[in-house]
Amino acid sequence: MIDINANIGHWPFRQTDCNTCETLIKRMDKHGIDVSVVSNMNGIFYKDTQASNEELHKEINADQRFRDRFIPFAIINPIYAGWKRDLDICTSKMGIKGIRMYPLYHDYELTHPSCIELVKIARDKGLVVALTLRMVDSRSRSWMDINKEWDLEDVIPIIKEVPDAKYLVLNIANGIHVNDEDTELFKNSDMVFDTSGRNIYNLSELINKFGKEMFAFGTHSPILDYLTGLLRIESLRESEADEETKELLRSGNAKRILGM
Amino acid sequence: MSKTINRRKFFRNTAISTAGIIIGGNLGELSAKGYAVLDPYDLMKEVMKYRKIDTHEHVGLNGNNIEAQIDFADRLGIEKLAISKPVTQGSAKDATPEAFRKSNDIILEAMKLYPDRYIGMVYVNPLYGKESLEEIKRCMDLGMVGLKVYHQVKINSPLFYPIIEKFIDLKMIIHMHAHCGLGVGGERTKYGNIQPNASIPEDFVEAARMYPEAMFQYAHTGGGGDWEYACKTMKDYPNIFVDTSGSNNSGNMINYVLRYLGEDRMFFGTDNSYYQGVGTILASHLNEVQKKKIFFENYNNILRKSGNHVD
Repeated sequence: MIDINANIGHWPFRQTDCNTCETLIKRMDKHGIDVSVVSNMNGIFYKDTQASNEELHKEINADQRFRDRFIPFAIINPIYAGWKRDLDICTSKMGIKGIRMYPLYHDYELTHPSCIELVKIARDKGLVVALTLRMVDSRSRSWMDINKEWDLEDVIPIIKEVPDAKYLVLNIANGIHVNDEDTELFKNSDMVFDTSGRNIYNLSELINKFGKEMFAFGTHSPILDYLTGLLRIESLRESEADEETKELLRSGNAKRILGM
Repeated sequence: MSKTINRRKFFRNTAISTAGIIIGGNLGELSAKGYAVLDPYDLMKEVMKYRKIDTHEHVGLNGNNIEAQIDFADRLGIEKLAISKPVTQGSAKDATPEAFRKSNDIILEAMKLYPDRYIGMVYVNPLYGKESLEEIKRCMDLGMVGLKVYHQVKINSPLFYPIIEKFIDLKMIIHMHAHCGLGVGGERTKYGNIQPNASIPEDFVEAARMYPEAMFQYAHTGGGGDWEYACKTMKDYPNIFVDTSGSNNSGNMINYVLRYLGEDRMFFGTDNSYYQGVGTILASHLNEVQKKKIFFENYNNILRKSGNHVD
């Protein structure tokens, strides 16, 4: 079982649970999760995101268990000084497998030239690009948090700009019901949606619409609870998803997109 | 069974390349130490282990249909669903007696269709006091077991007093739509202004203080409001209960409700967010006894007061 959407680090507006490698791995053990793709949420809030990547690298390398079980993704802000050098260090010295971008928090558009350049470099390096539709529900956000969320269609511009990159689209809380043309765009991309978001309301129907290769288990932990994303998979009936399909959702699609 | 794969095989096949991308990864050691050989975790077995009453559900809202709803309930082992159909559109006065009678008729029809699954909650608008009391009697006579009210009138309004007193006599719970946008967006009342008559935690406190023998259910802690603020506000009022429904399955919400309100004042609910409703409780730090209480026993004890409990 692979969780493609886990975080460690601090969420500054609310206390979270199991937000360190040590506590997360205990939770993984309890619930049978073998591997987690993990980022450091501190990078959403640091102006220099590289510091968060260094923290993540240090924490993972503090323990053999962490090195074996966590796949690190770096947070890169392509409008901040030195991001290309940071990305080089992340790939050459920190072993990152992908990047996370937070344009809403870091205040740039997905079509910003530097963003497009970053995604192209990621593509060329074989890195996965993770886009998160929202971190929290803006209705219940802190007064110091941002008030914007993405719909699924909001990620389309970067996919059109760099159609041959590999993408994770995470926490799909809004706008999963895109039109036929956009559905085809997603289906024709090398992309996986995680199962954490509230718009994954009826996974069986969504598999029929997008295909069984498009979804993978994700928790969006510790912001969201640890089991709802898994429950959407495990509660599928045999008539909705056979064992082969469930294995794709539990780990197969994650392995494909991550190149495992 | 969530773990049908052979874990040793899983890691033989995959972890080499996984660890290969992590500096310092040592797969030989991994295999020898067996880090990856986890005990199986059967999530659906865990789901089905607990009897469940969904204490916040609707019929006829947002296009949800009954068959799909029962299917979700079957899928997740939800035995009973407390259903209502408030008038959610228009101004407060638009929820006329004719409109709330029509809503309740839809609930009564659903109860006939699935008498073993649906628990009916009467909906009224206290702006129409006399008609509301008449409607309560009609629906109680037809088997409903509680009240669900919306944001036409605040729970602490004098217009509500006769209705609260009626439900004290009936020994039934008053389930009130709640809003807690306080502290959001830098304006304490920002979301209160969107639903100006919606009941906020302070309104519940005032009603609970005035009527300590009444039972109030604060709706959907996971419904997009500030549940931390709500729990702290309502902590000292034991006749205020909360349901944990809503689309926001925040990671630490259940633990927080437990800390401030305790294990006896929390009900399982979905408000149409079935996976979140179940998942967030299972993922919490609640022990097994507490999970049984939240999923089923706490609300059944409320129903027991009026003789409407589930055996």
